[in-house]
Amino acid sequence: MAASLPQPAAAITGQPEDLLKRPLYAFDIPSTLLTSLIVKGSGHDPTTAQDSKDNGLSTEGIASAQPPGEVDPTFGMSCALCAVKSKTLQEQRLHAKSDVHRFNMKRKIRNEPPVSEIEFEKMIEGLNESISGSEASSSEDDLSSDPLANLLRKKAVINSATDPLDDAPRKHKSPIIWLSSPLLPPMTSLGIYRAVVPNLVEETDVLSLLPALQTTPTTTAPTTSAPHIFLCMIGGGHFAAAVISIVPKLTKRSGVVEREAVVLAHKTFHRYTTRRKQGGSQAANDASKGTAHSAGSSLRRYNEAALTADIREVLGSWKEMLDSSMLLFIRATGTSNRRTLFGYDGAVIKSSDPRIRGFPFSTRRATQSELMRCFVELTRLKVSHVDEAASISAPTAPTAPAPVKAPVVKVKPSKEEAQQLQHSTTLNTLLRRSKAPAIVTYLNSNKLPFTYYLSPPNHHTPTLLHLAASQSNPMVVLALLTKSPNDNREPADPTIRNSAEKTAYDLAGDRVTREAFRVARQELGEDKFAWDSIGVGSPLSRKSYEEMLEHEKAAKDAEEKERREKETTRLKNMPETSSSAGSSASSKGGKRLAEVLGTHAAAAAREGETRGLSDEAKRRLERERRARAAEERMKRLAEK
Amino acid sequence: MAVRAQFENSNEVGVFATLTNSYALVAVGGSENFYSVFEAELADVIPVVHTTIAGTRIVGRLSAGNRKGLLLPTSTTDQELQHLRNALPDAVKIQRIEERLSALGNVICCNDHVALVHPDIERETEELVADVLGVEVFRQTIADNVLTGSYCALSNQGGIVHPQTSIQDQDELSSLLQVPLVAGSINRGSAVVGAGMVVNDWMAVTGLDTTATELSVVESVFRLGEGQAPSNISTTLKDSLVESFY
Repeated sequence: MAASLPQPAAAITGQPEDLLKRPLYAFDIPSTLLTSLIVKGSGHDPTTAQDSKDNGLSTEGIASAQPPGEVDPTFGMSCALCAVKSKTLQEQRLHAKSDVHRFNMKRKIRNEPPVSEIEFEKMIEGLNESISGSEASSSEDDLSSDPLANLLRKKAVINSATDPLDDAPRKHKSPIIWLSSPLLPPMTSLGIYRAVVPNLVEETDVLSLLPALQTTPTTTAPTTSAPHIFLCMIGGGHFAAAVISIVPKLTKRSGVVEREAVVLAHKTFHRYTTRRKQGGSQAANDASKGTAHSAGSSLRRYNEAALTADIREVLGSWKEMLDSSMLLFIRATGTSNRRTLFGYDGAVIKSSDPRIRGFPFSTRRATQSELMRCFVELTRLKVSHVDEAASISAPTAPTAPAPVKAPVVKVKPSKEEAQQLQHSTTLNTLLRRSKAPAIVTYLNSNKLPFTYYLSPPNHHTPTLLHLAASQSNPMVVLALLTKSPNDNREPADPTIRNSAEKTAYDLAGDRVTREAFRVARQELGEDKFAWDSIGVGSPLSRKSYEEMLEHEKAAKDAEEKERREKETTRLKNMPETSSSAGSSASSKGGKRLAEVLGTHAAAAAREGETRGLSDEAKRRLERERRARAAEERMKRLAEK
Repeated sequence: MAVRAQFENSNEVGVFATLTNSYALVAVGGSENFYSVFEAELADVIPVVHTTIAGTRIVGRLSAGNRKGLLLPTSTTDQELQHLRNALPDAVKIQRIEERLSALGNVICCNDHVALVHPDIERETEELVADVLGVEVFRQTIADNVLTGSYCALSNQGGIVHPQTSIQDQDELSSLLQVPLVAGSINRGSAVVGAGMVVNDWMAVTGLDTTATELSVVESVFRLGEGQAPSNISTTLKDSLVESFY
């Protein structure tokens, strides 16, 4: 089992083109190139690399400061945790109470390396700087009282990216570290997957870690003792795992020396576990919807168990290889898949193993060929040709302009519009109260045309005349049509049609209003408007119109009088029954519903009359009403 | 003098009793056997008090105390507090503590001079421990365990810590506490030495299962028997200990 790897750099002459002629293999980078690599993008220079290296050594020094068994005069007086030696008992006690000791103890509980006193001071300082700018003053006394608690709290809150001592996998950074070299052509950089480098903390550490990872290709097949990595994928009933040596094997094929990856062990399984069409595993379905009892479900359940057993057996038989693996690349999404690998009795891999990596790119179905593709993808150095200078000079140019969303701004009405609105509102109120003369004066005084278009625009009643007609207001209609000629102003145009092609005449609700149009026809003359086209009847003189109104009013009054008389006689005809009914009701101490309704109706009617009137008008109305009532009383007294 | 006892078939003596140089608290049991063990040794020296704490019998795990004071969790009822106040000597300060880690016996391990406490204990609690018990307080772990009270039994004469405590840690702790320490077990190999026994300067009570070797270690490190210096352990008994258990 072998896959063709990026080819050896045997014939590299130092020419930039030759270096990139063939793909580069992460574990066999030409030494000339390797020594010249520089990490890109982090403002890196070799000196800082040296610093970080020193830091690494110093932390190692902390860990191994006290080799056990070595006899020391102040042995019991030291603190192994913080690697501090105290000369006196007092010093030791002070240290045991110090913040740095407490901080280190908490780090130890969380399996984190201890920090030295200097590092701790730096952290505290960093804390002060970061907080003083942003925090309210109320928290400052809190801060000064217990810097350690603040530090711990901060570390709990802030993303671990700010902590130089935390593990790399937790940082949200690019999965690829880009390197450049003077040996490479300009604008060319090499990328290596972060996940491929073990024990990587800082991006810059890659330069110090890479040389140790380099291997020399052999012509014989490498054994399990050579460095190797484990790759494994589980998903949808498929399982594929392989242990692949990172030491490539050189083979000669048709005169060309080729590098091949050597697979030390591999295994693939497939079992029917996923629910066809519905999707998802049987276990997931059982967990969410309860156990199904179909033949298929029991098949799948059996297969899931069998797959788990198979996988664990394979992992168990590979235990030694797994333990010695440099890295473990695992793709197992979902709890059931993870449970297959981790956390069972005699589990070979621990989920907390620092060697475990995910595949930092998307992978396909778990097969042997997919594993090989992933191995090649992981170990091949990526080459990018990007003109950084250009991209910096025009950082935002290539991006398409974002579609500008029309801002939803409430348009403030202009002064004129506001005025029109004001006019419309006033005219509306006047119309409702049928104040025809007031409307005419308002229009005149404000120099508004009689053909007044209401604002905001209205579909049914675009003009004031339409509105008046639709409200069956003959006085206003007549005023709008006929009052103006006196002062040489154009009367309202009755031929204007609304959006439904209706004229004001069409909207008129009763006969009287329609007659008003006829009066206007008479007064304005036949030539003024195309009266026939809008259906106005034959001209009618104002006099006859008024007579007609009189007549109608008289008829109405007579009718009303008759009705009243009828009603009173009817009431008079049954005085006994009603009074008896009234007495019986009053004897019961209750109130008849009709009474209540009557008073309520009267009150409501009164209220209806006064609605929409100004305070002064209301007062006048009330005065008149009282005067009438007083007159009535006087009259009754006189009759008696 | 080290004696073996059992509380209703349980060997975890430290769970059901608290023993100090000025008083002893004993849980209310079905029979008086357990109480009698304490009474027989201490009745005419210090008060032995029957009590519950927060209505439970695990008085040893919920309370922590020494000659000068007694610390109780916030769940202790007023009646229990009053009962203890009546029963204990006036010189003993009693304090109820509001602490999230309410099993004070598990998180505080103390003698009359020093206390080792859980690293996560609140600062106010730490101050109260120092004030009420009159001790110097150190936040420590014992063999990487945060429950100092469970894994350490301490008197003014010596102490036993978790059997897997490294030599270096033992030396450091012993230097802090200023008493000799040994790593040892109790109740036939149990590592929870703090919960498995109670000890003061004159007597220790261990579980009935405690082996003779374990008991001799206890007697020697707490100087309970005659002519038993702690140094004897490191020479003669250590080997047998290691052989028997680890």
